[in-house]
Amino acid sequence: MKNLKKYLLSAAAVLALVSCSNDDDTPVANNVTLEFNNTFKNQTIVLGDAASTSATTNTSASSQVHHFSELKYVISNIRLVKDNGDEIPYNINNLDNGATVIDQSKAATLNYVLSNIPSATYKQIKFGLGVKTELNTLDQAKFPKFYAAAGANDTEMHWEWGTGYRFTKIEGFYDTDNKQLSIHTGSTIEGTAPNYTQGVDAYRDITLNLTTNAIVGSAAPKIKIKADFDKLLSGKTNTITLSSTGMGANATSSIHTAANMVLFVDNLGGNGTSDITGMFSVTAVEN
Amino acid sequence: MRKIIVFITALLFLTSCNNDESEQFSYENPEIGLDIPQDFPELNSFVSTNKPTKYGVELGKKLFSDKRFSADNTISCSSCHIQENAFADQNVQAIGIEGRIGLRNTPSIQNLAFLKFYNLDGSKLQLENQPLVPIITHEEMDSSIMEVIEKIKDDATYKDLFWKAFGDENITPERIYKSIAQFEYTLISSNSKYDKVKRNEGETFTEYEAKGYQTFQQKCASCHSTELFTDQSFRNIGFPVNNDSNEAGRARVTGKMEDYVKFRVPSLRNIDLTAPYGSFGQFETLRSVLDYFDNGVLGADNLDPIFKENGKRIPLSEEEKNNLIAFMKTLTDTNFTKQ
Repeated sequence: MKNLKKYLLSAAAVLALVSCSNDDDTPVANNVTLEFNNTFKNQTIVLGDAASTSATTNTSASSQVHHFSELKYVISNIRLVKDNGDEIPYNINNLDNGATVIDQSKAATLNYVLSNIPSATYKQIKFGLGVKTELNTLDQAKFPKFYAAAGANDTEMHWEWGTGYRFTKIEGFYDTDNKQLSIHTGSTIEGTAPNYTQGVDAYRDITLNLTTNAIVGSAAPKIKIKADFDKLLSGKTNTITLSSTGMGANATSSIHTAANMVLFVDNLGGNGTSDITGMFSVTAVEN
Repeated sequence: MRKIIVFITALLFLTSCNNDESEQFSYENPEIGLDIPQDFPELNSFVSTNKPTKYGVELGKKLFSDKRFSADNTISCSSCHIQENAFADQNVQAIGIEGRIGLRNTPSIQNLAFLKFYNLDGSKLQLENQPLVPIITHEEMDSSIMEVIEKIKDDATYKDLFWKAFGDENITPERIYKSIAQFEYTLISSNSKYDKVKRNEGETFTEYEAKGYQTFQQKCASCHSTELFTDQSFRNIGFPVNNDSNEAGRARVTGKMEDYVKFRVPSLRNIDLTAPYGSFGQFETLRSVLDYFDNGVLGADNLDPIFKENGKRIPLSEEEKNNLIAFMKTLTDTNFTKQ
């Protein structure tokens, strides 16, 4: 009995020491914040209705002036790549904990905090613009949080007829007479990879090199990501001219179906081959 | 002693056998074999993954007419898919809760087990994936599947039916979709006058019906082919175009501009019961559709070759139109609409 007491005491002492030494070391994990800055070229976008004088305006490569009243997109499937090349996936199969709607009208949505990222040095970030096909089913039972957030009345990121999510939703105005512009993207693809039977995959996988390594440990770094919506009409893949009928232009100004949609998807999220950054770039890493 | 042990072992063995059986067949829920009519095409391959059962179908039928599927409990599936109209309705475009107008004319629900594509644009290939669409669409029921489950979960009749159909009382989204699809798979129309004539069951066409059938075979059957009266292809036949930005026909799904405002060839079965006609109810009567074909359709780059090669029209005399309509009425299946 006396022996047992001794053992217990020494065990407790060891535990105390161990926990002390842990305190001194860097934590095993920390947060990483993704800060999204939605811009036209280098100017942060200010939204506004048709008559707005404060809204940020932009001019496309084909000389069409435009501005936005609404700007939303879904980010999911986030992975951080260590300097040794190892990928750390962040809840990539759980939309409730690993996906978010970036909404320019809600400042809080512009910062997305990744929690419990293993302490390490990271050189690259990968993420999806939209939701990968396997998870894009509007499954309310499985992911009630994301379903509710995306479907809220002031968010409207359910694409009902396709039983998937809207990946981007942009409302705005173009030309000097402020004609309406409305660009929605989302997937219509059916079947399972790689044997898709029909439809368009509007999900785009983005890969961005960090400007300097993000060091997760005692510090919780912030990665600043620019989404340059100048690319919507003047992208690396397509130069788009809008018209309400599609006549004399290569796209109509209302994109609510898969028709004509890929022009915009490729500009925003890259074409998946020669362009894997689309409108995105990393502008800074704060360690 | 040894004898006793053997006896006990044997007893245990028997008992466990019994147990297995009683668990596996806790309720008799037999499959309902689908009666596949003569000369119909093959079943959609997904039917074999969700074979209709006695209680699955009964459950699906009850869900199909439950108004709690809509946000304000005013609209069920059967509000628009009315049996007397071959599970379509007579509105120009579908009407959802609060009188909201949908994008398209309500399609009939018949012989779906044999279709390869669902909806006019073929957006769904598997019937189980379709019921969620009207439940969540703003212009239709404007609800959500969990909201529906919340409303029906304490209903004793449902508990009983889910238990009988699926082995326990759990109400899940997947079980709802499956049972509705099972019910729809059983909606087979193949007992019209046309069918009885074809099967030599004692009925004969009138003179006008017979002439109409001849004209049909000459001028319509290249698209309205097979015993489903559709070849299930997507075509632009130059109908007046719905300018709603949400409409692109087949291109809505494929993204290909050559599919712009192409729609699946509709079945002509029970066609007399499903007026108005066209993707958004452009035509009030069968007569007006035939007049339109005769007068000439709209041109388009992707206009169907058959129309392009024939001066954008199907020439029809007044007599041919009358006879065609008489023939099309023989495709009405009152067994189906009144069962």
